[in-house]
Amino acid sequence: MKTLPTLLTGGLLLLMTAGCGRAPAPASATAAPDAAGTRSFEARGVVREIAADRRTAVIRHEEIPGYMPKMTMELNVRDPAELAEVSVGDEITFRLHATADTHWIDGIRRVGRAPAVAAAETPLFVPEETPELKPGDPVPDAEFLDEHGRPVRLSDFRGRAVAFTFFFTRCPLPDYCPRMNAHFRDARQLLLSRPDAPTNWQFLCVSFDAAFDQPAVLARYARAYRGDNPDRWLFAAAAPATLARLAPRLDLMVIREAGGFSHNLRTVVLDPAGRIFRQFDGNAWTPAELAEALVAAARESGAPGDAAEVGQR
Amino acid sequence: MPPSPPNRPSPRVADNAPAGREATLTRREWLATLGVGGALCLAAVTLGWWTARRRSPPAHEAPATPRELADFALLERSGRAVTREDLRGRFLIVSFLFTSCSLSCRAVNDRMAELQRALAGAEDVRLVSLTVDPRTDTPATLARFAARYHADPNRWWFLTGEKAELYRLIEASFLSRSRELETLIPGGFANLDHLFLVDRTGRVRQAFGGLRADAVRQILAALERLREETQAP
Repeated sequence: MKTLPTLLTGGLLLLMTAGCGRAPAPASATAAPDAAGTRSFEARGVVREIAADRRTAVIRHEEIPGYMPKMTMELNVRDPAELAEVSVGDEITFRLHATADTHWIDGIRRVGRAPAVAAAETPLFVPEETPELKPGDPVPDAEFLDEHGRPVRLSDFRGRAVAFTFFFTRCPLPDYCPRMNAHFRDARQLLLSRPDAPTNWQFLCVSFDAAFDQPAVLARYARAYRGDNPDRWLFAAAAPATLARLAPRLDLMVIREAGGFSHNLRTVVLDPAGRIFRQFDGNAWTPAELAEALVAAARESGAPGDAAEVGQR
Repeated sequence: MPPSPPNRPSPRVADNAPAGREATLTRREWLATLGVGGALCLAAVTLGWWTARRRSPPAHEAPATPRELADFALLERSGRAVTREDLRGRFLIVSFLFTSCSLSCRAVNDRMAELQRALAGAEDVRLVSLTVDPRTDTPATLARFAARYHADPNRWWFLTGEKAELYRLIEASFLSRSRELETLIPGGFANLDHLFLVDRTGRVRQAFGGLRADAVRQILAALERLREETQAP
Protein backbone atom coordinates (compact mmCIF):
# COMPACT_ATOMS: atom_id res chain seq x y z
CA MET A 1 0.00 0.00 0.00
CA LYS A 2 1.74 3.04 -1.30
CA THR A 3 -0.59 5.77 -0.13
CA LEU A 4 -0.44 5.30 3.62
CA PRO A 5 3.31 5.92 4.14
CA THR A 6 3.09 8.74 1.64
CA LEU A 7 0.34 10.40 3.57
CA LEU A 8 1.92 9.83 6.94
CA THR A 9 5.28 11.14 5.82
CA GLY A 10 3.70 14.12 4.19
CA GLY A 11 1.82 14.85 7.35
CA LEU A 12 4.88 14.47 9.55
CA LEU A 13 7.05 16.67 7.35
CA LEU A 14 4.37 19.26 7.60
CA LEU A 15 4.38 18.90 11.37
CA MET A 16 8.13 19.25 11.57
CA THR A 17 8.29 22.35 9.43
CA ALA A 18 5.28 24.03 10.87
CA GLY A 19 5.40 22.67 14.40
CA CYS A 20 2.07 21.73 15.80
CA GLY A 21 0.58 25.17 15.52
CA ARG A 22 -1.05 24.06 12.32
CA ALA A 23 -3.53 21.34 11.87
CA PRO A 24 -1.91 18.03 11.14
CA ALA A 25 -3.45 16.52 8.09
CA PRO A 26 -5.31 13.43 9.20
CA ALA A 27 -4.59 10.20 7.44
CA SER A 28 -8.20 9.27 7.42
CA ALA A 29 -11.61 10.66 8.09
CA THR A 30 -12.75 7.46 9.72
CA ALA A 31 -12.78 6.45 13.34
CA ALA A 32 -9.88 4.03 12.88
CA PRO A 33 -6.91 5.19 14.98
CA ASP A 34 -3.89 6.38 13.03
CA ALA A 35 -0.29 5.47 13.87
CA ALA A 36 -0.26 7.87 16.85
CA GLY A 37 -3.52 6.45 18.23
CA THR A 38 -5.53 9.48 17.14
CA ARG A 39 -9.07 8.91 15.99
CA SER A 40 -10.56 11.50 13.67
CA PHE A 41 -14.16 12.29 12.90
CA GLU A 42 -15.97 14.58 10.50
CA ALA A 43 -18.44 16.73 12.39
CA ARG A 44 -20.92 19.53 11.93
CA GLY A 45 -22.34 21.99 14.39
CA VAL A 46 -23.22 25.51 15.38
CA VAL A 47 -20.84 27.82 17.25
CA ARG A 48 -22.31 28.96 20.56
CA GLU A 49 -19.30 30.66 22.19
CA ILE A 50 -15.76 31.51 21.17
CA ALA A 51 -13.11 32.08 23.85
CA ALA A 52 -11.30 35.42 23.68
CA ASP A 53 -8.04 33.67 22.72
CA ARG A 54 -9.90 31.49 20.17
CA ARG A 55 -8.30 28.38 21.63
CA THR A 56 -11.61 26.91 22.65
CA ALA A 57 -15.12 27.14 21.30
CA VAL A 58 -18.44 25.91 22.61
CA ILE A 59 -20.07 24.06 19.75
CA ARG A 60 -23.49 22.50 19.57
CA HIS A 61 -22.60 19.61 17.32
CA GLU A 62 -24.67 17.01 15.54
CA GLU A 63 -24.19 13.36 16.33
CA ILE A 64 -20.66 12.19 15.63
CA PRO A 65 -21.31 8.59 14.58
CA GLY A 66 -19.19 6.15 16.50
CA TYR A 67 -18.05 8.74 19.03
CA MET A 68 -20.58 11.10 20.59
CA PRO A 69 -24.29 11.86 20.47
CA LYS A 70 -25.56 15.30 19.56
CA MET A 71 -24.53 17.69 22.34
CA THR A 72 -23.07 21.05 23.29
CA MET A 73 -19.38 20.86 24.16
CA GLU A 74 -16.45 23.13 24.74
CA LEU A 75 -13.79 21.95 22.28
CA ASN A 76 -10.08 22.73 21.98
CA VAL A 77 -9.21 24.52 18.76
CA ARG A 78 -5.84 23.53 17.31
CA ASP A 79 -5.29 26.67 15.28
CA PRO A 80 -6.98 29.83 16.61
CA ALA A 81 -6.52 31.40 13.15
CA GLU A 82 -9.15 29.00 11.85
CA LEU A 83 -11.73 30.87 13.93
CA ALA A 84 -10.76 34.30 12.61
CA GLU A 85 -13.67 34.41 10.16
CA VAL A 86 -16.11 32.46 12.33
CA SER A 87 -18.60 34.03 14.68
CA VAL A 88 -21.20 32.84 17.16
CA GLY A 89 -24.22 31.46 15.38
CA ASP A 90 -22.27 30.20 12.36
CA GLU A 91 -22.81 26.68 11.20
CA ILE A 92 -19.49 24.94 10.65
CA THR A 93 -18.02 21.66 9.56
CA PHE A 94 -14.85 20.53 11.28
CA ARG A 95 -12.75 17.52 12.17
CA LEU A 96 -12.59 16.26 15.73
CA HIS A 97 -9.46 14.38 16.74
CA ALA A 98 -9.30 12.36 19.92
CA THR A 99 -6.40 10.60 21.60
CA ALA A 100 -6.52 8.72 24.86
CA ASP A 101 -6.09 11.89 26.90
CA THR A 102 -6.99 14.93 24.82
CA HIS A 103 -8.90 16.16 21.83
CA TRP A 104 -8.82 19.04 19.37
CA ILE A 105 -10.65 20.25 16.33
CA ASP A 106 -9.33 21.57 13.03
CA GLY A 107 -10.40 21.90 9.42
CA ILE A 108 -13.05 24.41 10.51
CA ARG A 109 -15.15 25.63 7.60
CA ARG A 110 -18.03 28.02 7.82
CA VAL A 111 -20.92 26.55 5.85
CA GLY A 112 -23.68 28.95 6.77
CA ARG A 113 -25.63 30.77 9.36
CA ALA A 114 -27.74 28.42 11.44
CA PRO A 115 -31.41 29.28 11.09
CA ALA A 116 -32.15 27.50 14.37
CA VAL A 117 -29.83 29.80 16.27
CA ALA A 118 -31.06 32.90 14.52
CA ALA A 119 -34.58 31.86 15.44
CA ALA A 120 -33.53 30.92 18.95
CA GLU A 121 -32.35 34.48 19.55
CA THR A 122 -35.85 35.82 18.92
CA PRO A 123 -38.47 35.14 21.57
CA LEU A 124 -41.35 33.03 20.32
CA PHE A 125 -43.57 35.28 22.41
CA VAL A 126 -43.30 37.52 25.45
CA PRO A 127 -45.76 36.29 28.06
CA GLU A 128 -48.19 38.75 29.58
CA GLU A 129 -47.53 39.64 33.17
CA THR A 130 -50.51 38.01 34.79
CA PRO A 131 -51.12 35.56 37.64
CA GLU A 132 -51.62 31.84 37.14
CA LEU A 133 -55.20 30.63 37.06
CA LYS A 134 -56.59 28.39 39.75
CA PRO A 135 -59.36 25.78 39.61
CA GLY A 136 -62.68 27.61 39.30
CA ASP A 137 -61.16 30.52 37.36
CA PRO A 138 -62.49 31.11 33.84
CA VAL A 139 -59.92 30.75 31.07
CA PRO A 140 -59.99 33.79 28.77
CA ASP A 141 -61.24 32.88 25.33
CA ALA A 142 -58.56 31.96 22.82
CA GLU A 143 -58.65 31.34 19.09
CA PHE A 144 -56.61 28.67 17.31
CA LEU A 145 -56.25 27.50 13.71
CA ASP A 146 -57.53 23.94 13.43
CA GLU A 147 -56.49 21.01 11.27
CA HIS A 148 -59.11 21.98 8.63
CA GLY A 149 -57.67 25.48 8.34
CA ARG A 150 -60.63 26.96 10.24
CA PRO A 151 -60.50 29.14 13.35
CA VAL A 152 -61.66 27.46 16.52
CA ARG A 153 -62.25 29.12 19.89
CA LEU A 154 -62.44 27.70 23.38
CA SER A 155 -65.86 29.37 23.63
CA ASP A 156 -67.06 27.24 20.72
CA PHE A 157 -67.21 24.39 23.21
CA ARG A 158 -69.36 26.01 25.90
CA GLY A 159 -71.75 23.41 27.22
CA ARG A 160 -69.13 20.70 26.97
CA ALA A 161 -66.31 19.72 29.28
CA VAL A 162 -63.06 20.34 27.39
CA ALA A 163 -59.67 18.73 27.89
CA PHE A 164 -56.84 20.50 26.13
CA THR A 165 -53.08 20.08 26.12
CA PHE A 166 -50.09 21.58 24.30
CA PHE A 167 -47.62 19.84 22.01
CA PHE A 168 -45.73 20.16 18.72
CA THR A 169 -45.72 17.54 15.99
CA ARG A 170 -41.91 17.40 15.67
CA CYS A 171 -41.56 16.60 19.39
CA PRO A 172 -39.06 13.74 19.51
CA LEU A 173 -39.33 12.56 23.11
CA PRO A 174 -41.65 9.57 23.60
CA ASP A 175 -42.62 10.53 27.15
CA TYR A 176 -43.62 14.08 26.17
CA CYS A 177 -45.96 15.03 23.32
CA PRO A 178 -46.46 11.48 22.04
CA ARG A 179 -47.40 10.38 25.56
CA MET A 180 -49.91 13.24 25.88
CA ASN A 181 -51.57 12.34 22.61
CA ALA A 182 -51.53 8.62 23.42
CA HIS A 183 -53.19 9.41 26.75
CA PHE A 184 -55.83 11.49 24.97
CA ARG A 185 -56.40 8.60 22.56
CA ASP A 186 -56.84 6.12 25.41
CA ALA A 187 -59.02 8.46 27.49
CA ARG A 188 -61.26 9.11 24.47
CA GLN A 189 -61.60 5.37 23.95
CA LEU A 190 -62.60 4.97 27.60
CA LEU A 191 -65.25 7.69 27.31
CA LEU A 192 -66.63 6.46 23.98
CA SER A 193 -66.92 2.90 25.24
CA ARG A 194 -68.52 3.74 28.58
CA PRO A 195 -72.30 3.40 28.31
CA ASP A 196 -73.04 5.77 31.22
CA ALA A 197 -70.57 8.47 30.15
CA PRO A 198 -71.90 11.92 29.31
CA THR A 199 -71.58 12.97 25.68
CA ASN A 200 -70.93 16.69 26.20
CA TRP A 201 -67.16 16.61 26.14
CA GLN A 202 -64.41 17.57 23.72
CA PHE A 203 -60.66 16.97 23.37
CA LEU A 204 -58.37 19.61 21.88
CA CYS A 205 -54.63 19.27 21.27
CA VAL A 206 -52.93 22.62 20.65
CA SER A 207 -49.55 22.94 18.96
CA PHE A 208 -47.36 25.87 19.99
CA ASP A 209 -45.35 25.45 16.75
CA ALA A 210 -47.87 27.18 14.47
CA ALA A 211 -45.17 28.10 11.94
CA PHE A 212 -44.49 24.44 11.22
CA ASP A 213 -47.74 22.81 12.31
CA GLN A 214 -49.88 24.05 9.46
CA PRO A 215 -53.35 22.49 9.09
CA ALA A 216 -52.15 19.78 6.69
CA VAL A 217 -49.36 18.78 9.07
CA LEU A 218 -51.80 18.64 11.96
CA ALA A 219 -54.31 16.59 9.96
CA ARG A 220 -51.65 14.02 9.07
CA TYR A 221 -50.43 13.86 12.67
CA ALA A 222 -53.99 13.59 14.00
CA ARG A 223 -54.71 10.59 11.81
CA ALA A 224 -51.85 8.69 13.44
CA TYR A 225 -53.54 8.99 16.84
CA ARG A 226 -57.19 9.24 15.95
CA GLY A 227 -57.46 6.82 13.07
CA ASP A 228 -60.46 7.51 10.88
CA ASN A 229 -62.73 8.53 13.75
CA PRO A 230 -62.40 12.25 14.53
CA ASP A 231 -65.28 12.17 17.03
CA ARG A 232 -64.83 14.88 19.71
CA TRP A 233 -61.07 15.25 19.20
CA LEU A 234 -59.64 18.23 17.35
CA PHE A 235 -56.05 19.30 16.64
CA ALA A 236 -55.12 22.97 16.26
CA ALA A 237 -52.23 25.41 16.53
CA ALA A 238 -51.87 28.57 18.62
CA ALA A 239 -50.34 31.74 17.23
CA PRO A 240 -47.59 33.29 19.39
CA ALA A 241 -49.88 36.17 20.46
CA THR A 242 -52.40 33.63 21.77
CA LEU A 243 -49.67 31.78 23.64
CA ALA A 244 -48.49 35.05 25.18
CA ARG A 245 -51.89 35.29 26.89
CA LEU A 246 -52.44 31.61 27.70
CA ALA A 247 -48.97 30.43 28.73
CA PRO A 248 -48.52 32.56 31.87
CA ARG A 249 -52.09 31.84 33.02
CA LEU A 250 -51.59 28.08 32.67
CA ASP A 251 -47.92 27.98 33.77
CA LEU A 252 -47.00 26.61 30.33
CA MET A 253 -43.28 26.81 29.58
CA VAL A 254 -42.15 26.77 25.96
CA ILE A 255 -38.46 27.25 25.23
CA ARG A 256 -36.97 27.49 21.75
CA GLU A 257 -34.10 25.08 21.60
CA ALA A 258 -31.94 23.57 18.87
CA GLY A 259 -34.50 24.04 16.11
CA GLY A 260 -37.26 22.58 18.28
CA PHE A 261 -38.69 23.26 21.70
CA SER A 262 -38.16 22.29 25.28
CA HIS A 263 -41.44 22.55 27.12
CA ASN A 264 -43.36 21.43 30.14
CA LEU A 265 -46.68 19.61 29.97
CA ARG A 266 -49.93 21.29 30.94
CA THR A 267 -53.25 19.55 30.44
CA VAL A 268 -56.36 21.46 31.45
CA VAL A 269 -59.94 20.30 31.95
CA LEU A 270 -62.62 23.00 31.61
CA ASP A 271 -66.17 22.68 32.84
CA PRO A 272 -69.09 23.46 30.48
CA ALA A 273 -68.87 27.14 31.50
CA GLY A 274 -65.20 27.38 30.51
CA ARG A 275 -63.83 27.43 34.05
CA ILE A 276 -60.82 25.40 35.10
CA PHE A 277 -62.09 22.16 36.60
CA ARG A 278 -58.79 20.37 36.98
CA GLN A 279 -55.20 20.71 35.78
CA PHE A 280 -52.84 17.82 35.11
CA ASP A 281 -49.20 18.90 35.31
CA GLY A 282 -46.39 16.79 33.85
CA ASN A 283 -46.82 13.30 32.47
CA ALA A 284 -47.45 11.20 35.58
CA TRP A 285 -51.21 10.87 35.17
CA THR A 286 -53.29 8.18 33.53
CA PRO A 287 -55.92 8.16 30.76
CA ALA A 288 -58.41 6.83 33.33
CA GLU A 289 -57.84 9.88 35.55
CA LEU A 290 -58.39 12.21 32.59
CA ALA A 291 -61.58 10.36 31.59
CA GLU A 292 -62.84 10.58 35.17
CA ALA A 293 -62.17 14.32 35.28
CA LEU A 294 -64.06 14.79 32.00
CA VAL A 295 -67.05 12.87 33.31
CA ALA A 296 -67.12 14.91 36.52
CA ALA A 297 -66.58 18.22 34.70
CA ALA A 298 -69.27 17.50 32.11
CA ARG A 299 -71.81 17.16 34.91
CA GLU A 300 -70.99 20.62 36.24
CA SER A 301 -73.52 23.16 35.12
CA GLY A 302 -72.65 26.13 33.01
CA ALA A 303 -72.62 29.42 34.88
CA PRO A 304 -75.95 31.28 34.96
CA GLY A 305 -76.50 33.28 31.83
CA ASP A 306 -74.02 31.19 29.87
CA ALA A 307 -75.41 30.30 26.50
CA ALA A 308 -74.74 26.59 26.10
CA GLU A 309 -73.95 26.80 22.43
CA VAL A 310 -72.93 23.32 21.46
CA GLY A 311 -71.49 24.01 18.05
CA GLN A 312 -70.99 21.05 15.76
CA ARG A 313 -67.43 20.62 14.65
CA MET B 1 -33.13 13.72 13.01
CA PRO B 2 -31.05 16.49 11.49
CA PRO B 3 -30.25 16.12 7.82
CA SER B 4 -26.83 14.78 7.12
CA PRO B 5 -24.35 17.38 5.92
CA PRO B 6 -24.67 17.83 2.17
CA ASN B 7 -21.01 18.53 1.56
CA ARG B 8 -18.76 16.68 3.91
CA PRO B 9 -15.27 18.06 3.59
CA SER B 10 -13.01 15.53 1.99
CA PRO B 11 -9.73 14.89 3.76
CA ARG B 12 -7.25 17.45 2.52
CA VAL B 13 -4.31 15.27 3.24
CA ALA B 14 -2.01 16.15 0.40
CA ASP B 15 -2.79 19.87 0.15
CA ASN B 16 0.35 21.07 1.84
CA ALA B 17 2.61 18.05 1.55
CA PRO B 18 5.81 18.89 -0.30
CA ALA B 19 5.33 16.93 -3.50
CA GLY B 20 7.99 14.39 -4.35
CA ARG B 21 10.07 14.88 -1.25
CA GLU B 22 8.66 11.96 0.69
CA ALA B 23 9.42 9.62 -2.18
CA THR B 24 13.12 10.08 -1.62
CA LEU B 25 13.07 9.10 2.05
CA THR B 26 14.52 5.75 2.98
CA ARG B 27 12.71 3.57 5.44
CA ARG B 28 15.24 4.56 8.10
CA GLU B 29 14.75 8.25 7.51
CA TRP B 30 11.07 7.68 7.55
CA LEU B 31 11.20 6.02 10.95
CA ALA B 32 13.47 8.76 12.29
CA THR B 33 11.03 11.34 11.02
CA LEU B 34 8.21 9.50 12.68
CA GLY B 35 10.04 9.32 16.00
CA VAL B 36 11.39 12.87 16.16
CA GLY B 37 8.33 14.43 14.61
CA GLY B 38 6.07 12.47 16.89
CA ALA B 39 8.01 13.45 20.00
CA LEU B 40 8.18 17.10 18.99
CA CYS B 41 4.53 17.14 18.19
CA LEU B 42 3.53 15.45 21.41
CA ALA B 43 5.63 17.90 23.39
CA ALA B 44 4.26 20.87 21.53
CA VAL B 45 0.69 19.67 21.79
CA THR B 46 1.09 19.07 25.49
CA LEU B 47 2.73 22.43 26.04
CA GLY B 48 0.21 24.20 23.88
CA TRP B 49 -2.68 22.52 25.62
CA TRP B 50 -1.23 23.25 29.03
CA THR B 51 -0.47 26.89 28.33
CA ALA B 52 -3.84 27.36 26.70
CA ARG B 53 -5.42 25.97 29.82
CA ARG B 54 -3.30 28.18 32.03
CA ARG B 55 -4.17 31.25 30.02
CA SER B 56 -7.88 30.66 29.79
CA PRO B 57 -9.66 33.04 32.12
CA PRO B 58 -12.05 31.79 34.78
CA ALA B 59 -15.50 31.03 33.44
CA HIS B 60 -17.01 33.87 35.36
CA GLU B 61 -15.44 36.50 37.55
CA ALA B 62 -16.40 36.65 41.18
CA PRO B 63 -18.75 39.54 41.93
CA ALA B 64 -17.06 42.46 43.66
CA THR B 65 -19.39 42.26 46.61
CA PRO B 66 -20.74 38.75 47.13
CA ARG B 67 -24.46 38.48 47.60
CA GLU B 68 -25.96 36.72 50.56
CA LEU B 69 -27.88 33.53 50.08
CA ALA B 70 -31.44 34.69 50.80
CA ASP B 71 -33.53 32.81 53.34
CA PHE B 72 -36.14 30.48 51.92
CA ALA B 73 -38.78 27.89 52.79
CA LEU B 74 -38.84 25.05 50.24
CA LEU B 75 -39.34 21.31 49.96
CA GLU B 76 -36.65 18.74 49.36
CA ARG B 77 -37.43 15.81 47.03
CA SER B 78 -37.88 13.63 50.11
CA GLY B 79 -40.85 15.88 51.01
CA ARG B 80 -38.96 17.42 53.94
CA ALA B 81 -39.28 21.16 54.54
CA VAL B 82 -35.92 22.92 54.14
CA THR B 83 -34.74 26.44 54.98
CA ARG B 84 -31.41 28.24 54.75
CA GLU B 85 -30.69 27.13 58.32
CA ASP B 86 -30.46 23.52 57.15
CA LEU B 87 -27.55 24.43 54.88
CA ARG B 88 -25.69 26.64 57.34
CA GLY B 89 -21.99 26.01 57.82
CA ARG B 90 -21.46 24.14 54.58
CA PHE B 91 -20.09 25.09 51.18
CA LEU B 92 -22.84 24.90 48.59
CA ILE B 93 -22.68 24.27 44.87
CA VAL B 94 -25.99 25.47 43.45
CA SER B 95 -27.49 24.65 40.06
CA PHE B 96 -30.87 25.14 38.37
CA LEU B 97 -33.01 22.69 36.47
CA PHE B 98 -36.39 21.79 35.09
CA THR B 99 -36.92 18.11 34.54
CA SER B 100 -38.82 18.64 31.27
CA CYS B 101 -35.61 19.91 29.73
CA SER B 102 -34.72 17.87 26.68
CA LEU B 103 -31.24 18.87 25.57
CA SER B 104 -28.46 21.08 26.79
CA CYS B 105 -29.46 21.62 30.41
CA ARG B 106 -28.97 17.92 31.03
CA ALA B 107 -25.27 18.70 30.70
CA VAL B 108 -25.50 20.85 33.83
CA ASN B 109 -26.90 17.91 35.80
CA ASP B 110 -24.06 15.76 34.45
CA ARG B 111 -21.64 18.34 35.90
CA MET B 112 -23.37 18.14 39.26
CA ALA B 113 -23.12 14.33 39.15
CA GLU B 114 -19.40 14.64 38.34
CA LEU B 115 -18.99 16.99 41.28
CA GLN B 116 -20.78 14.57 43.58
CA ARG B 117 -18.32 11.85 42.55
CA ALA B 118 -15.30 14.14 42.87
CA LEU B 119 -16.47 15.29 46.31
CA ALA B 120 -17.18 11.83 47.71
CA GLY B 121 -16.48 11.94 51.44
CA ALA B 122 -16.41 15.75 51.63
CA GLU B 123 -18.78 16.41 54.51
CA ASP B 124 -18.35 20.18 54.25
CA VAL B 125 -20.02 20.49 50.82
CA ARG B 126 -23.63 20.15 49.77
CA LEU B 127 -24.96 20.15 46.21
CA VAL B 128 -28.27 21.97 45.74
CA SER B 129 -30.41 21.98 42.58
CA LEU B 130 -33.33 24.40 42.36
CA THR B 131 -36.17 23.77 39.93
CA VAL B 132 -37.63 26.64 37.92
CA ASP B 133 -40.76 24.63 37.02
CA PRO B 134 -42.11 23.59 40.43
CA ARG B 135 -45.63 22.62 39.39
CA THR B 136 -44.12 19.94 37.16
CA ASP B 137 -41.20 19.22 39.44
CA THR B 138 -42.98 17.95 42.53
CA PRO B 139 -40.91 16.15 45.18
CA ALA B 140 -41.89 12.82 43.60
CA THR B 141 -40.87 13.95 40.10
CA LEU B 142 -37.58 15.31 41.42
CA ALA B 143 -36.92 12.06 43.30
CA ARG B 144 -37.28 10.07 40.07
CA PHE B 145 -35.07 12.56 38.25
CA ALA B 146 -32.43 12.53 41.00
CA ALA B 147 -32.25 8.75 40.90
CA ARG B 148 -31.24 8.92 37.24
CA TYR B 149 -28.17 10.87 38.31
CA HIS B 150 -27.49 8.64 41.31
CA ALA B 151 -27.89 11.67 43.55
CA ASP B 152 -27.10 10.89 47.19
CA PRO B 153 -30.08 12.10 49.32
CA ASN B 154 -27.68 13.31 52.01
CA ARG B 155 -25.30 15.22 49.76
CA TRP B 156 -27.29 16.42 46.73
CA TRP B 157 -30.60 18.10 47.45
CA PHE B 158 -33.30 18.95 44.90
CA LEU B 159 -35.54 21.80 46.03
CA THR B 160 -39.04 22.73 44.89
CA GLY B 161 -41.95 24.64 46.40
CA GLU B 162 -44.03 27.68 45.57
CA LYS B 163 -42.92 29.20 42.29
CA ALA B 164 -42.93 32.71 43.77
CA GLU B 165 -40.69 31.58 46.63
CA LEU B 166 -38.24 29.80 44.31
CA TYR B 167 -38.08 32.72 41.88
CA ARG B 168 -37.58 35.20 44.73
CA LEU B 169 -34.66 33.12 46.07
CA ILE B 170 -33.06 32.73 42.63
CA GLU B 171 -33.41 36.44 41.79
CA ALA B 172 -32.23 37.62 45.19
CA SER B 173 -29.19 35.35 45.33
CA PHE B 174 -28.14 34.24 41.86
CA LEU B 175 -29.70 35.27 38.55
CA SER B 176 -31.53 38.14 36.92
CA ARG B 177 -34.64 37.47 34.91
CA SER B 178 -36.77 39.08 32.23
CA ARG B 179 -40.03 38.20 30.54
CA GLU B 180 -38.42 38.75 27.13
CA LEU B 181 -36.22 35.70 27.80
CA GLU B 182 -39.01 33.39 28.91
CA THR B 183 -39.32 31.52 25.60
CA LEU B 184 -35.54 31.31 25.29
CA ILE B 185 -34.48 30.26 28.79
CA PRO B 186 -36.71 28.56 31.38
CA GLY B 187 -38.17 31.16 33.71
CA GLY B 188 -36.42 33.86 31.67
CA PHE B 189 -33.35 33.56 33.92
CA ALA B 190 -30.16 34.69 32.17
CA ASN B 191 -27.25 32.26 32.71
CA LEU B 192 -29.48 29.49 34.00
CA ASP B 193 -26.76 27.03 33.01
CA HIS B 194 -24.34 28.50 35.55
CA LEU B 195 -23.26 26.80 38.76
CA PHE B 196 -22.73 28.92 41.87
CA LEU B 197 -20.33 28.41 44.72
CA VAL B 198 -21.57 29.61 48.12
CA ASP B 199 -19.16 29.81 51.05
CA ARG B 200 -19.74 28.56 54.58
CA THR B 201 -20.98 31.92 55.78
CA GLY B 202 -23.72 31.98 53.12
CA ARG B 203 -22.07 34.39 50.70
CA VAL B 204 -22.45 33.65 46.98
CA ARG B 205 -18.83 33.76 45.88
CA GLN B 206 -18.46 32.71 42.26
CA ALA B 207 -20.35 31.52 39.15
CA PHE B 208 -19.17 29.00 36.56
CA GLY B 209 -20.48 28.24 33.07
CA GLY B 210 -22.02 24.81 33.52
CA LEU B 211 -21.60 23.81 29.87
CA ARG B 212 -17.86 24.44 29.87
CA ALA B 213 -15.70 21.37 29.79
CA ASP B 214 -13.48 22.66 32.60
CA ALA B 215 -16.32 23.71 34.94
CA VAL B 216 -15.79 20.85 37.38
CA ARG B 217 -12.04 21.41 37.58
CA GLN B 218 -12.54 25.13 38.13
CA ILE B 219 -15.16 24.63 40.82
CA LEU B 220 -13.00 22.14 42.69
CA ALA B 221 -10.05 24.55 42.54
CA ALA B 222 -12.20 27.46 43.75
CA LEU B 223 -13.59 25.30 46.55
CA GLU B 224 -10.05 24.46 47.62
CA ARG B 225 -9.19 28.18 47.75
CA LEU B 226 -12.25 28.88 49.89
CA ARG B 227 -11.31 26.08 52.28
CA GLU B 228 -7.83 27.55 52.67
CA GLU B 229 -9.29 30.99 53.20
CA THR B 230 -11.57 29.85 56.01
CA GLN B 231 -8.84 27.76 57.65
CA ALA B 232 -6.31 30.61 57.64
CA PRO B 233 -5.74 32.08 61.12
